Amino acid sequence: MLPNLKVENLSCVRSEKAIFKNLNFEVLPGQNIEIIGSNGSGKTTLLRTLLGLINKEEGIINWLDENNNFNEYRSFDCFYQGHQMGIKNMLTVFENLKLTHNAKGMNVEDINKCLERVGLNKTNEMASDLSVGQKKRISIARWLLKDFKIYFIDEPFTALDDRASDLIKEIINELNQKGSSFVITGHRSSNINATLIEI
Amino acid sequence: MLLQGTDPQILTQPLLRFDMKSSVLDWLGIILKRDLIIAFRRSSTYITPLVFFLIVITFFPLALGPQDSLLSSLAPGVIWIAALLASLLAVESIFSEDFRDGSLDDFFVSLEPSFILVFAKVMIHWLITGLPILIASSLAAIILYLPLESFVPMILSLLLGTSFMSLLGALGAALSLGKSAILSAIIVLPFSIPTLLMGTSVVTFSLNNQDYSGFLMIMGAMLAIGIPLLCLLTVEALLLNYD
Repeated sequence: MLPNLKVENLSCVRSEKAIFKNLNFEVLPGQNIEIIGSNGSGKTTLLRTLLGLINKEEGIINWLDENNNFNEYRSFDCFYQGHQMGIKNMLTVFENLKLTHNAKGMNVEDINKCLERVGLNKTNEMASDLSVGQKKRISIARWLLKDFKIYFIDEPFTALDDRASDLIKEIINELNQKGSSFVITGHRSSNINATLIEI
Repeated sequence: MLLQGTDPQILTQPLLRFDMKSSVLDWLGIILKRDLIIAFRRSSTYITPLVFFLIVITFFPLALGPQDSLLSSLAPGVIWIAALLASLLAVESIFSEDFRDGSLDDFFVSLEPSFILVFAKVMIHWLITGLPILIASSLAAIILYLPLESFVPMILSLLLGTSFMSLLGALGAALSLGKSAILSAIIVLPFSIPTLLMGTSVVTFSLNNQDYSGFLMIMGAMLAIGIPLLCLLTVEALLLNYD
């Protein structure tokens, strides 16, 4: 089985200080990578570098294309969720899902199913009236809008109670079964089935 | 700078292929719908520039007195300066919310062309600031005793000029993202001088019964060049905020 993403000797330097050096890993379909590190260790920088938002210093980031060749340009959609979850306070829970490009072509029922799966039933409630944990549930519902090959999620277990953490683990497991992979970051291992990388 | 993770063919192919064309239009439609809903729920975004424009306009007759010849001779400059400053009021907000709440990351990670995001944002800025100003300019013209025959040239010049200002504003907003709100206005103002000169010239020439079409053509050309050029520069400026 070929990996969807191959990273070789990836390094990043900021203000002449190495943030991470010589990272090597592969993201195989249905398998997860968990990047562990303390605050400021470069976890977010690594995710953003992988997605091309930040220029890499050294190393190779190769993506699998439809012809099973590796090249440096990504040709498939990935899901990225940073510390900020992209939730608009002036939109309702439903609109926060519907008015994203990933929901293109989806009908009301499909979107409501995604919201129900994460335990959000009041779909007409304004996002501004929700707690941080509930907003995080909206962002998790977005994972379900489409089957992405790789999900890049920055600290998904932060600010969540045990029930919500279990829900995330369940959803990760379900999506893994469909062949999706997760690259997630955290301060410590979250006990999901993943290859750990410490930076 | 091209995003390392993005296929460069995305930038060259899409507009020619029907499926991609519809995808780009869907993308544009989603951004427009989302941001217009937010703008209408937060009414200050479109009311503030409009009220500011009308207040500045009404100050002139109050300060100078109701002398119609003086006011009508000052009208082109007054209307244009008020429109220019009013359109800059909402410039900072073009990308700031998307940057703060992480939506901007989502745009850049998707395989859709980032150019469309910037173009949609410019359109929204114009719809919530330029369009209300354009409508209110007729009232401003009456307050300032602008002759009726100068109304059409004034509207045409403002239509082209405010659209160009929204493009410039987007670039200023992208360059000053996460910094002081006034910085974007300071960046944009010097570059708005040609638009101001052209716009006031159109109205002044029409007041003097002279041909003003040349100025309108230059403004149209600036807009035609500005749409691709300034949108692409804005994409680059936005990406600088990640490095």
